Amino acid sequence: MLRFDRRLILHFDWVMLLMLVLVSGMALANLYSSTWNGSGSASPVFFKQLYLFVAALFLILLFISVDYIELATFGYLMYGGVVLLLLYTTLFVDTIAGTQRWINLGFFKLQPSEPAKLTLVLVLASCYSKNEVRDGYRIRDLIKPGILTAIPFVLIMIQPDLGTALMLGILFVSMTLFVKLRWSTVGILGGAGLACVLFGWKYLLKDYQRRRIETFLNPEGDPMNHGYQIMQSKIAVGSGKTFGKGFMEGTQGHLNFLPERHTDFAFSVWGEEWGFAGAVFFLSCYFFLLLWGINIALSARDKFGVLLAYGLVMMIFWQAVINLFMIMGFLPVVGIPLPLFSYGGSSLITTMVAIGILMNIRMRRFQTT
Amino acid sequence: MKNIRRKNRRRPEPMLAAERKKDPGVTKLTPRDDNELDAYKKRALYAAFVLLFFFAVIISRLWFLQMQKGEYYRELADSNRVRYLEVAAPRGNVVDRYGREIVTNRPSFNVVWVREDNKIDDEWLKKITRILGVDVSDILEKIRKMAHNPGHIPVRLAEDIDWETVAKIENNRMDLPGIKIEVVPLRVYHWGNHASHLIGYLGEINKKQLAASEPGIYRGGDLVGKMGLERLREKDLRGEKGRNYMEVNALGFEQKNLKGIEPLPGNDLRLTLDMELQKAAEEIMDEQDYAGAVVALEANSGRLLVLASAPALHLDEFVGGISHKAWNAMLDNPHHPLVNKLVQGQYPPGSTYKIITALAGLAEGVITPDSVIYCPGHYRFGNRTYRCWKRGGHGAVNLKRALSESCDVYFYQVGQRLGVDRLAKYAKLFGLGEKTGIEMEHEKPGLVPTAAWKKNRFGKSWQEGETLSIAIGQGFNLVTPVQLALMTAALANGGTLYKPTLVEEVKDPDGHVIESFTPVVLERLRGQGRNLKLVREGLVEAVNGKRGTGRRARVSDKNIMVGGKTGTAQVVRLKQYIHLKEEDIPYKYRDHALFICFAPAENPEIVVAVVVEHGLHGGSAAAPVARAVLEKYFAGKYALEEIDTVVVPQRMLEGDSPLLVNDIAGDILRQQTQVIQ
Repeated sequence: MLRFDRRLILHFDWVMLLMLVLVSGMALANLYSSTWNGSGSASPVFFKQLYLFVAALFLILLFISVDYIELATFGYLMYGGVVLLLLYTTLFVDTIAGTQRWINLGFFKLQPSEPAKLTLVLVLASCYSKNEVRDGYRIRDLIKPGILTAIPFVLIMIQPDLGTALMLGILFVSMTLFVKLRWSTVGILGGAGLACVLFGWKYLLKDYQRRRIETFLNPEGDPMNHGYQIMQSKIAVGSGKTFGKGFMEGTQGHLNFLPERHTDFAFSVWGEEWGFAGAVFFLSCYFFLLLWGINIALSARDKFGVLLAYGLVMMIFWQAVINLFMIMGFLPVVGIPLPLFSYGGSSLITTMVAIGILMNIRMRRFQTT
Repeated sequence: MKNIRRKNRRRPEPMLAAERKKDPGVTKLTPRDDNELDAYKKRALYAAFVLLFFFAVIISRLWFLQMQKGEYYRELADSNRVRYLEVAAPRGNVVDRYGREIVTNRPSFNVVWVREDNKIDDEWLKKITRILGVDVSDILEKIRKMAHNPGHIPVRLAEDIDWETVAKIENNRMDLPGIKIEVVPLRVYHWGNHASHLIGYLGEINKKQLAASEPGIYRGGDLVGKMGLERLREKDLRGEKGRNYMEVNALGFEQKNLKGIEPLPGNDLRLTLDMELQKAAEEIMDEQDYAGAVVALEANSGRLLVLASAPALHLDEFVGGISHKAWNAMLDNPHHPLVNKLVQGQYPPGSTYKIITALAGLAEGVITPDSVIYCPGHYRFGNRTYRCWKRGGHGAVNLKRALSESCDVYFYQVGQRLGVDRLAKYAKLFGLGEKTGIEMEHEKPGLVPTAAWKKNRFGKSWQEGETLSIAIGQGFNLVTPVQLALMTAALANGGTLYKPTLVEEVKDPDGHVIESFTPVVLERLRGQGRNLKLVREGLVEAVNGKRGTGRRARVSDKNIMVGGKTGTAQVVRLKQYIHLKEEDIPYKYRDHALFICFAPAENPEIVVAVVVEHGLHGGSAAAPVARAVLEKYFAGKYALEEIDTVVVPQRMLEGDSPLLVNDIAGDILRQQTQVIQ
């Protein structure tokens, strides 16, 4: 199964690795600052993330050693595993802060909803690349991918983790729009989607979730809670001005005005301490990494490769956009991290694996069988 | 392309499945796949544009937040993190004319806990309760009350602690993290309750005052003047608060200190008052258990020397808010300590009014100094008999005797000749019936009746018989003690009515005089010098003559002649009391005793007016009080002439900055700790 090819070394994706290290380096520096507690050394949180990053590099090695085509079938296995973990969380895990998201593995708290995004991309790419549909997809052709999406979607909704569930929905829409759809399908799905949103708003959303959205639409109505978080985030980013307050000098972050400053609002700290210049530099690197991912899709050798690469880029991209929009006050508070940048083991490993798979596709672009 | 697709479609599906089964490892590429691959890649390219679009949106948003509104958000971030604590400014001091301190500040020491969080250590709690000698529950209650306040505001655990406790806390500083000693200026009244109505007291600012004040000057809980000069001169005395800036975290707990602003102490007031005289006046009123008022002023300037309203207020009861019980006790006290009788007490002037009647008579030419009127002890007018206070009558009296023996019949006739309106004209020239403008609150104007006034007030025309009552100071007439004193001063100085003043100068903390006294003339009686002198002679006779009514006002120094006039003001005319002995009349129906005087007789310097409520007779109750003030005045004057220097006002807090207070405190502290060690 494992065929060694000299060209694999030759075509190793150094660009992606460089971008990964660059972005992760900035992420770790930022984490060092945002979790600084005034004592002599860096916080345990920083070391934990550092160790996980190194561990994930090895995981990348593992994921590039096998031809990605194996994932077309292996992906279903991973998907099944993740669904079981999600079921386990729903059934057996005690509620923390109103939600059941984490499985405690002792050294690490696994959040199965993170790999759920990755496995969904895997199975959808596999599913769409195998199916051949004449004149585009009809509704009934979407039943299988629909069910594949719905299972983790519902399980995550139950937790409840609206943000991640919506992410799955967005991934499904992104991937489905990528393949050829009939116009009628688009129309029916669009209509159904709109109906779902209205229905969901009325009956499915929890009160606190609805409040978050209302708060976003009317921030003055709730200045101390979610409106407060977004306001503080905007203050942090804005007060960075051109060149920032300097590394470790951010007042919003270090004086605790920023909520979740090492997880969801990590980029606010970056913006505060490095200013517009630093933020533009970071975002350029970040988006270059994503565009490189698209480039990988463009150079992939087969349909599965294209779909997979595209899907993985979308997975990172949409999370980043939602997170950044939230930080800059375009969106309400949703629990979506900035991949690679926010603290969180599950998200880091998932994203690194995704990048590993991208590198895999890149390395094998010349291989034909 | 369409052709190719159609061709593709024709390809049977099973074959693909079969191919897959043959080689499960790798999907075989087909030409159809290639085409679809191209279509996919085209879409992937579109995705790249979507990415770039969002990149542009995010960057432009960052541009807006950081470049365009950066300054605004930087300010918001600073106002987030920077908090300040106000540092109370020491209030201005109040000293008397010779610089003797009346009210100053002393540093008081409070124990405060500057929180880093709201958690409490058991050891810490044990230690602090032992040192302060209080219950654990007390401390916990105080902390609980403050738990909801912003964290940078210290919790006050004990107030105004003694030196021993301060030293103990300093010695245990290491074991008491977060505990600090806060130095706050407190008011000290060096003369006890003397001049209490005049000085007033401090109290917590109320909502109305807070709303009416300029923003930024006061906060809830601040102490402001509630009465007297503390209230009227609030703007001078309050100074400007300082600020300690600090950086706080999101929970409001102090992280580090930033540069602050030092408080600016209030301006100092130097009063025209002579506290020794004030004390003498209040002490004699107190000894006799009198209610009433004593006013003394410089005859030639209007500077007030004594302003006493008896009984005095107990200022210490007002510190930190007066209790309900104490308040009610004051309300129920028949001597009405809450009323500032100096300007709020309105009394019939009684015989003291005869000065006006006499002067009006001379000025209008209805009498001469030598006019003789026979007094048989009563005067019949219309179908009523008006009595003289002396039942047997004075016989033939001229002006001098009429004044010195206070013959009622003489003045009935003078009044009758003048008529009410001419009497009122002179009363007004002496400042009666109008507010004097003294720096005291709720001043009453008194009352000088005229025919028009009565018509207006009661709708009835004036009865000539009423004029007789007015002429001897009864009837509708009402005066305040301050008016009485002013009237006497005008008589003494030859007709000039000065505005009564009690602030000599206002100095800022650097010692620059920003306001100083200049005499203000309210009224001038022209061309009456001779007549005024005649009246004064009558008054001198009243004190020094053998049958004078004011003999008890004579001072021990025989070189100093005093001129004065007694007055007895009827409170109520009730038949059932007429035949009673004076001592048996209920207190509240007894007559008021009044006395006014000036000295020395030839060139008057000082004027004293005394009202003793329900004191029965001016000669016996009020005159001795005036004498006490005069004795003190002349004794002090000669003593001062020997020294011939004025004591320089000594501020309690030299330099007046809290830093210095801290330094002083620190110095004493160091000495203390050395002793202990």
